[in-house]
Amino acid sequence: MTTTSERLHRSNDAVEDPILEVKNASVTFDGGETYVLDDVTFSIERNEILGVVGESGSGKSMLASALLDAIPAPGHLSGEVLYHPDQHTTVDILEFTDDELMEYRWADVSMVFQGAMSSFNPTMKVGAHFQDTLKAHNESVPDGMAFAREILSDLYLDPERVLDSYPHELSGGMQQRALIALSLLLEPEVLVMDEPTAALDLLMQRSILLLLEDIKEKYDVTMVFITHDLPLVASLADRMAVMYAFELVEAGPRDQIIGESAHPYTRALLNSTPNIDAPLEEMQPIPGKSPAPVNVPSGCSYADRCPLATETCTQDAPSFDQVEDGHTVACHHWQRARDEINLSFAGADETGRSTGGERR
Amino acid sequence: MPTEADENENVNWRSDSDVSADVTRGERFAELFEERIRKPAIVAWADRRTRIGLLILGVYLGMALIAVFDLYRAPSTNQATQLAGPFQSWDYPLGTTMSGVDLLSLIIHSTPDILLMIIAGSVWATGVAVLVGTLAGYKGGAVDRVLMSVSDVVMAIPGLPLVIILAVTFNPKNPIILGILININYWAGLGRSLRSQVLTIREDSYVEASRTMGVSTPRILQKDIIPNLMPYVTVNFVFAARYVVFASIGLFFLGVLPYSAQNWGVTLNYAYSGGALFTWEAAHWLIFPMIAIMGLSLGLILLGQGMDRVFNPRVRTRLAESSESTKTKTDAAMTEDH
Amino acid sequence: MGHYYLRRTARMFVTVFLVASLSFGLIRLLPGGPFSLLRANLLRQGVPASEVDARIANLQNIRPDAPLWEQYLDYMLAAGQGDFGTSIALGEPVSRIIAQAVPWTVFIVLVSTVLIFVFGVLLGAIQAYWEGSRFDQLVSGVSVTLMSIPFYVVAVLALFVFAYQFGWFPTAGTVGVGVETGVSMAFFTSALHHAALPIFSYTITGIGGQALAMRGNSIQVLGNDYVEVARLRGLSDRRIATRYVARNAILPLYTGFLLLLGFRLGGTVILEQIFSYPGLGYYMWSALESNDYPLMMGTFLVITVALVIGVYIADLTYGMIDPRISRGDTDAY
Repeated sequence: MTTTSERLHRSNDAVEDPILEVKNASVTFDGGETYVLDDVTFSIERNEILGVVGESGSGKSMLASALLDAIPAPGHLSGEVLYHPDQHTTVDILEFTDDELMEYRWADVSMVFQGAMSSFNPTMKVGAHFQDTLKAHNESVPDGMAFAREILSDLYLDPERVLDSYPHELSGGMQQRALIALSLLLEPEVLVMDEPTAALDLLMQRSILLLLEDIKEKYDVTMVFITHDLPLVASLADRMAVMYAFELVEAGPRDQIIGESAHPYTRALLNSTPNIDAPLEEMQPIPGKSPAPVNVPSGCSYADRCPLATETCTQDAPSFDQVEDGHTVACHHWQRARDEINLSFAGADETGRSTGGERR
Repeated sequence: MPTEADENENVNWRSDSDVSADVTRGERFAELFEERIRKPAIVAWADRRTRIGLLILGVYLGMALIAVFDLYRAPSTNQATQLAGPFQSWDYPLGTTMSGVDLLSLIIHSTPDILLMIIAGSVWATGVAVLVGTLAGYKGGAVDRVLMSVSDVVMAIPGLPLVIILAVTFNPKNPIILGILININYWAGLGRSLRSQVLTIREDSYVEASRTMGVSTPRILQKDIIPNLMPYVTVNFVFAARYVVFASIGLFFLGVLPYSAQNWGVTLNYAYSGGALFTWEAAHWLIFPMIAIMGLSLGLILLGQGMDRVFNPRVRTRLAESSESTKTKTDAAMTEDH
Repeated sequence: MGHYYLRRTARMFVTVFLVASLSFGLIRLLPGGPFSLLRANLLRQGVPASEVDARIANLQNIRPDAPLWEQYLDYMLAAGQGDFGTSIALGEPVSRIIAQAVPWTVFIVLVSTVLIFVFGVLLGAIQAYWEGSRFDQLVSGVSVTLMSIPFYVVAVLALFVFAYQFGWFPTAGTVGVGVETGVSMAFFTSALHHAALPIFSYTITGIGGQALAMRGNSIQVLGNDYVEVARLRGLSDRRIATRYVARNAILPLYTGFLLLLGFRLGGTVILEQIFSYPGLGYYMWSALESNDYPLMMGTFLVITVALVIGVYIADLTYGMIDPRISRGDTDAY
């Protein structure tokens, strides 16, 4: 495990007006022996949609929880999570008192979990959840509920019906939208969404994505969309970040990441997206498995699955290089990656480069 | 959209090994043993309660064996001075009763019958409950209604009074029959709760798959449903046993059950009516059987609790107490904050 | 839905009827005829045999020599109208005996069961909140120990120590001898004084079981996502503890509570014997000892009805407290 001093993190990621900055965030559950979030640094631009992509077990849910300082015990979070309510103020939420944290959560930064059904109290009506939240933050209940009705309509839900129902009486899509409405109730600046559509069917996934765009415009929120489904978030995001083995490996503008990605893992991920038209032999899964926290190799964590791996890779962990303005990557051979790993998904031309990635 | 079936012929769906190995019966048993017996046993043993429970039950088993193999003399009157106090001599370590019967011998020789009774009672109660509960819960409809109506009636007959009547009428001496008698309507309540569990399980996809495949009902019950009930059943088995202990001894104490062999409850009864209540001197006559009763129940309860833990780990998430900000540090030093 | 309620209520009556019939048959299984004792006594007193039969018939609404099914019909018809016959041993109408005895037993059972639940739920909830602490371990240990003691052992010990040895509590009866029945301070204090030990013994061993169950449920609920989401939403600990945790943890215990009430009514057979407390259980036992059929039937019926009503209420109301359960019959597979 490399120490922080051996790595360069703060390279230029071209974020001018960050609303949240994460610096050297690490989460350990056993006192520093293994990490489920390993020294992650990145920024979130105000009013953007950031897509964080990674496999199951890559640490992305930990990242989401870190943004609210909500790592479950016995986990221990260290590093800095800087919140900029406006351009001139900075606070480190990890230094908040309990009261400040309570004010921060849900009112400044809010979260939507995967599996909306389990986020609601099964013996309470949906409307009661809204009221509880308003009362807990000392907001006016009638005003708050009126606002709730507005949000629910924006999400194409019937406010009266939804508020008066028990969670199990709603369909999966309705539950998820109700949860999104609940998280927007206190008009947060940032909305963190951890796999919000994973449990839904494809049509519902698409429609919720479209809704999210509208929501972002109307309510002026910054969104962090965490998922394993790269194509899903590609249509929505402004910037994207890729995680592997509890670390950040690449980050940059969406077009760059989709069309001109520089990390072998990202490119392999793009290639592995199933295409329903392609015959079976052309499917390209990534061989091997991502490492468990106790098994993270020294050096580059992707080395044992990487076609470009050399001796350097197994010995030295790569630091962040700048590919282009705002596009950073942590790989020793990123220049070769672009040449040698052909992108073969729909929209790529014969040279193996993308003609611009998926358009909406 | 047509799938390109022809081009897919070359794709080998199977795993890399070309030979599908036939698993021998020996290997299957070994695996079964590993999964079903050894691993849960390890988890169970790790829990302190199971360990203590098993230990206690082991003591009772030991006593039963002693009695069966006659390693300690059988109780009879005038083995020693009457109403001798406890801890006075090795001849009668726990003292004697008013008729001079050695208390320790009394306790030891009651054990085998009591253990038999308990096992019979719990097997009956849980066995019938599983049968009724799974059939009613799985089949639903008319079968469910009939079985539940029957069990309602059985459940509504007051348990203890029913047992009293049957005991007085039929005067069973055999501990196994006695055990079944005591728990004669215990299965009704258990069957009901098992039924509710089955109602949930049967909605799972694998049950639906079995049904679609045409698997017969008994097989579905046996393979898909009952294994999922085992945790609940095991725990309740122990509770049923505990109930037999309590009920049987209470009834012996009341004088309802026949005095076939000596029994802790009988001893209690004699003690109670023999005036052990009135003086401290005879207190040991009362207390040691009580300790025997409590010990057995304790062992059973601990075992039940431990096994519950095996099957039902209760995981609780709590948010971390504190997170550490490294804003003022250049190198993040990982200090343990908890 | 109304259809379902109707059916359920009808089922309740049918169950009571069936159990009553069963009890009728069961009781007659007892060795020695019902009136053998009385008959022997009367004959010994020199009453001519024919008159003995007539007297017995009067007492009973049953003609003791009539075939069983006729006895059955006679009894059921009378019982349906509230006439449960006369007690053979005590010579009083059964309904009067029961009416006198039932309040005392109900008092003990109700108070003790409610106490068990109140203390059990509170302890269990606190244990779950401080899971793993010394307090938690201590209470668990005590609960398990107490659970292994049958209530009658505690009863006997309590009687021994507190009533006989120390003389703090009476050793028999529901109220003191000579205390007037009525709404008076003297009556209440005497009644409480007499009920204290029975209630104590019937309660103390049961708390542990409920505490452990509540603790387990609470811990399971605490592991659910919605509790964490509630915390993130900023809800106070108090609100989470009551509306999100306790409310969901108690649900499974609810049915148990109602059933327990019914079952413990049966257990009073032993409890009241020990304390010589003339309630329902006491009379059931004395009826058994003297082969007093009418009294036995009467007490049986009371307990049966209580149990059936308990199950009925539990069934019907569970859907009210848990919105996820819908009432009605299940589909057939």
